[in-house]
Formats: sequence, structure tokens, C-alpha cells
Amino acid sequence: MLSIKNLHASVEGKEILKGINLEIKAGEVHAIMGPNGSGKSTLSQVLAGNEAFEVTEGEVLMDNRNLLELATEERAREGIFLAFQYPVEIPGVSNMQFLRTAVNALRTHRGEEEMNAAEFMKLARETSRQVDLDPGFLKRGVNEGFSGGEKKRNEIMQALLLQPRLAILDETDSGLDIDALKVVADGVNALKSRDRAVLMVTHYQRLLNHIVPDFVHVLANGQIIKSGGRELALELEERGYGWLGVKDEVATS
Amino acid sequence: MKPAPILSSAFLEPSGQSLPAPLLALRQQRGKALADMPLPTRKTENWKYSSRYLKLTDELAAGLPADGQTGPALAVDGYHVVFRNGIMVPEASDYPDTDGISIERFADLDDDAATQLAERLDNTLDSNGVQLARLNAARFEDGLYIRLRPGAVLDQPLFVISETDASVSGSAYPRIYVDAGANSQITLVEEFITTGAEPAMVNAVTEFALAEGANVTNVRLSLDGDNVQHVGATGARLQGHARFDSHTVGFGGPLRRHDLQVRLEASGAECRLNGVVVTQHKQHYDNHTTIEHIAPHCNSEETYRNIAADESHAIFNGRIHIHQDAQKSNANMSNKNLLLSTGAEIDTKPELEIYADDVKCAHGATVGQLNEESVFYLISRGIGRQEARTLLSMAFINELIEQIPVPAVRGTVQLRLNRFFEQTVVEA
Repeated sequence: MLSIKNLHASVEGKEILKGINLEIKAGEVHAIMGPNGSGKSTLSQVLAGNEAFEVTEGEVLMDNRNLLELATEERAREGIFLAFQYPVEIPGVSNMQFLRTAVNALRTHRGEEEMNAAEFMKLARETSRQVDLDPGFLKRGVNEGFSGGEKKRNEIMQALLLQPRLAILDETDSGLDIDALKVVADGVNALKSRDRAVLMVTHYQRLLNHIVPDFVHVLANGQIIKSGGRELALELEERGYGWLGVKDEVATS
Repeated sequence: MKPAPILSSAFLEPSGQSLPAPLLALRQQRGKALADMPLPTRKTENWKYSSRYLKLTDELAAGLPADGQTGPALAVDGYHVVFRNGIMVPEASDYPDTDGISIERFADLDDDAATQLAERLDNTLDSNGVQLARLNAARFEDGLYIRLRPGAVLDQPLFVISETDASVSGSAYPRIYVDAGANSQITLVEEFITTGAEPAMVNAVTEFALAEGANVTNVRLSLDGDNVQHVGATGARLQGHARFDSHTVGFGGPLRRHDLQVRLEASGAECRLNGVVVTQHKQHYDNHTTIEHIAPHCNSEETYRNIAADESHAIFNGRIHIHQDAQKSNANMSNKNLLLSTGAEIDTKPELEIYADDVKCAHGATVGQLNEESVFYLISRGIGRQEARTLLSMAFINELIEQIPVPAVRGTVQLRLNRFFEQTVVEA
């Protein structure tokens, strides 16, 4: 489904990704782990099409289509979804209006009829319960005044509504208590299907106790330096990144 | 140095003679007094951003005719009074004849009422501040005089539709005076619309005198056409514990200049002034507001938002003047501005003059562009760029639109905003 070949990307002239190679097939769950500053979030942002990052080399094919030639919104319509590490607060745009506009943009792209307000309201309420968000949140501004956990659940709710082909979860576990983590994991597990893939980017392996990956990759200094099965995540938890010759730099470095 | 151009005397010549004698006399007197009034120029401080948009041509000196014919049907539920070119159209109007509330056109006033009104016209406005709006008192042909007895409450909003019929060129001078007795209540919605495509000018003045405890809401919706220059003023003076709520929504044009002046004259008076302006193409809009805190213990809240697209130009000048006796005044002013293109211009100028020492006064003004992170978030969900930027622009003003207490106005505004954004390419 997704094929990343020798991907290089920079931000403000500084190279962050230095030749990423990764193959993701439909139905698979991949986890990318790595220390802070290794390029995990950059990879997510580049795949979603954040124009602040410049791709300098390499290619990304989605179902044999050149993803990098597509604008951000076109990628979303082709089925790329990024659950943000830091979802943006947008006062003045209601969550309901935002979600319905997004769902209808995708439906229109697929040649389906738009959902009317009543139909969508019903769907949104059901989905919000699925991620344990009070439907009252739908009336509030997008992420406005949401707690960290509520924002993450709102991201998963969007994934459930938009039904992407590839869901990229950027540090979706950070800042969650154990109950919220379970809710989020249940949401992601509900997304899993034969023709959908999940790419989880995480610093810690605890999310992987709840969403079991088929493959684990270690990203360091802009490259994938090791790949394995889920046992690799457990090994990383036990031994840290040092044994791979990588310093687990703190975020401030 | 070349002297500033003097207003053409033709602008001071009223035409119709159907007004009661005291109002005719007033008009004549004002015309004489204004004979030497210079036009505002770039050097006139409160017109410096706008004088270049003002085009007082000879053809605008004529009064626009109003033959009393009914124009296009107006879909207004509830009380409404229709003015065409500043002259009331009774057959298109529908308003209550209620005990304690008198709603009369100037032309129908008896001598006593006309004398009373003549003494009051312009008494809420600072004549040095409003310049061109002073012309109105020399040229009005008709108007609406609303009087509420103490305790009277108008049970629904009253819409005053001011239509400018510009099938020929000329000017119109709509005029309203509201005398709100103690503890009375009224919501007055003014809508300015245009039919016809010739160049025209509207010079509209609306005034409110609020006695103790009176509660007045004024919604002012400026939907004039692109062939219309609009200058005008709204004045309000408040006695103790009176409350004045103002909601201004304006769409740009070749010239849009509105002065809003509020005087808090006795303890406990308070006002809230909200304003939304959107401009596009090469349009202009200039809001000048003044709040005079004259007495102690008065509150004012002011929130204005401008959105300027394309090569348009929006101006906000907000003055708060706290007089020496106005201790314990509480004044908040906020003006936020959104530029949708690099060719657009916004000028914002808070002016605070404070002579009392025990006051709370806060102000803030910002000019910015859309937040790119927010745009990315929306488009990463498949929403188109243009739609994303429209959603975010609407978010900038939604809060103020939602505060307009008349649902029909919110609906009209929403439709016009949709059209505005359909015609506007929002740059990154």
C-alpha cells in the first residue's frame, strides 16, 4: 500500500530525514520507535503533506501513486490520516461543523452524496461515544479547551469517521492516563481491517501493549536502523536505545 | 498652499418642502452654518485614511427623488418602516400603534412635536467629530421620530429599511431620532440597501437619547451597493443605569464612513459596542467610535473585528475619553484584524484619553493573518484550502455574529458572508 524509498526531508535547511525506506502493506500495523529528535514526527508530517517540510530526495508511493505530488488535502482524500501529536485549537469553528465538512469533502471525492446535518449528527454522536467523549464536545470549538486526553480521543474519533486507508498516529499515547490510553487503543483496534494499515509513531512501548504491532522499526538520526517484530519493542523497553549505538537524547538537546 | 476645497453650496440646498415649519427652519439654519465647512482632506486627522475615497461630485449634490412607489418586496416579518431615499413609504411599512410608543415620520409631526425634535436633533453628536454627517441636518427630507414613554416596551424588534433607489444620481439623507423614556426598551434594526446602479451617496444619522434605566439595542447592517458612498453617524447619550447595545455589521464599498459616539452621562450607564466589517476588491470601510465616560461608575465594552481581502482597506479608530469626574469607570476595547491578502490594508488606532485616576481601562489591537497550523490541520482532513480558509475567517467573527440578538439579521449576515467568501480568494 505504502512504499517509502530513500526519503530525505529538511526543515529550514536542516536535514531531518536521511534516507528512510519502509514498506507497509494493507492490514499491517507498524510501529516506529526512537529517541526524541530522531525524525519520527517529521516523517508523520511529511507523509501528511505539511509544506513546512521540504522533501529533497526519494519517493513515497501509495498504491503505486506518487504521494509527494499530491497536495495535503488530496492525500487526505486518498486515505492518509494523521492523528496529530499536538492537535490545533480552533475557536469559532465548531467540532461538528469541522467534522461534517471533512466527512463530506471525502464523500464528494468518492462520488458519494453529502451527509445532511441530521444524518451526520447521529453518526457523530455514536462515534463520540465510541471514544468516550461526551457528545456535548461536538458543539464546542475544535479542540477548544479540551484536555490533552480529550484532544487525543478527538483525533481517534476523526479517524473513525474518516475511515482512512493509512492511519498515522503521532505520539498518540503521550499525555494519556491508563484509562484514556485504553479508550484510544480500543478506537485504533476498531480501525484495524484487512484493507487498512496503521503506522504508530511512539517514544514508549506501552501503547504497543494495547495495539499489537506486526512490525517495529527503530528510527535514529533520520534513518531506520533496525526492524523486527513486536519483541523488538519489549527489548527496547528493557534495554533502551544505547545497545543500538544510539544516545537517547532528551528533547532539549 | 492650496486651500482645502469648500463644500459645494449645492450640497446645502434641500429640495422637498413637506416638513413642519420648525424642522424647515432648523434645516435652513444648519445649511447657513455649514456654508464654510471645508471638506475633510488627508490632513484632517480623523479622515486621513479615508479622504481619498470621498468623491463629492456635482451630480451627487442633487437630492434623490422619492416618488412613494413601492420598491421590491422586502421579506421582513414583524415591525418595519421603509424609507426610500430618506423619505418614508407608508404603504410598505407596518408598525404598531401602541400605548406609550409613538412612531411617526417627520412629515406628520404636529408643531409641538416638531419643535421638540428640532431642539434635539444632533444633540447626541460631537459636531466637530462627525464632519460630513452634519450635512444631514441641512438636507433631510423626512425621518422617523420614535418616542417611548417611561416603562414602555416594544415587544419585537423594529426594522427600519433604508433603501437607496439610485436609478438616477444623487444623495439621500435618512434620519432617525429615538427618545427612550425611563426604563423603556426598544430594539431598532437599521438595514441599508441599494437598488439602481447610478452613483449615489447616503448620509444617514441616527440618534438615541436614553433616560434613566432605558434599554436600547441598535443593530446596524450596511448592505449598500458598490455604486453608493455611505457616510453617517450614530449618537447615543445615556442617563443613569441606561444600557445601549450596538451591533454594527458592514460590507465594504467605494466609501464607507461611520461615526459612533456614545456619551455615558450619569452613574451606572453602560454600553456594549460590537462591530464586524468585511471588505474585498478595492473596497473601503472606516469605523470611528467614541465613548465619553462623563460620570463615575459607568461601563463600556467594545469589540470590533475587521477582515480585509484583495486590495481593500479597513480602518478602525476607537476613542475612549474618561473625564475627570468619571471615577470607577470600567472600559474595555478590543480590535482584532485579519488580513486575507498581502495587498489589503488595515489601520487600527486606539485612542485613550484618561483624566480620572481611579479607572480600569484596557485596550488591545492586533493585525494578523490566518494561522498556517490551523489551515494545515483542516486540509489534512481533506477539507479544501479555500474552504478551510473560509472556515477560519468565519471563526474570527462568528462570536460577534452570534451575539446579534435578532435571528433574521444573523441569517441575512450569514448569506452575505457566504457570498463574500465565494468571491474572495484567500491567500496563504
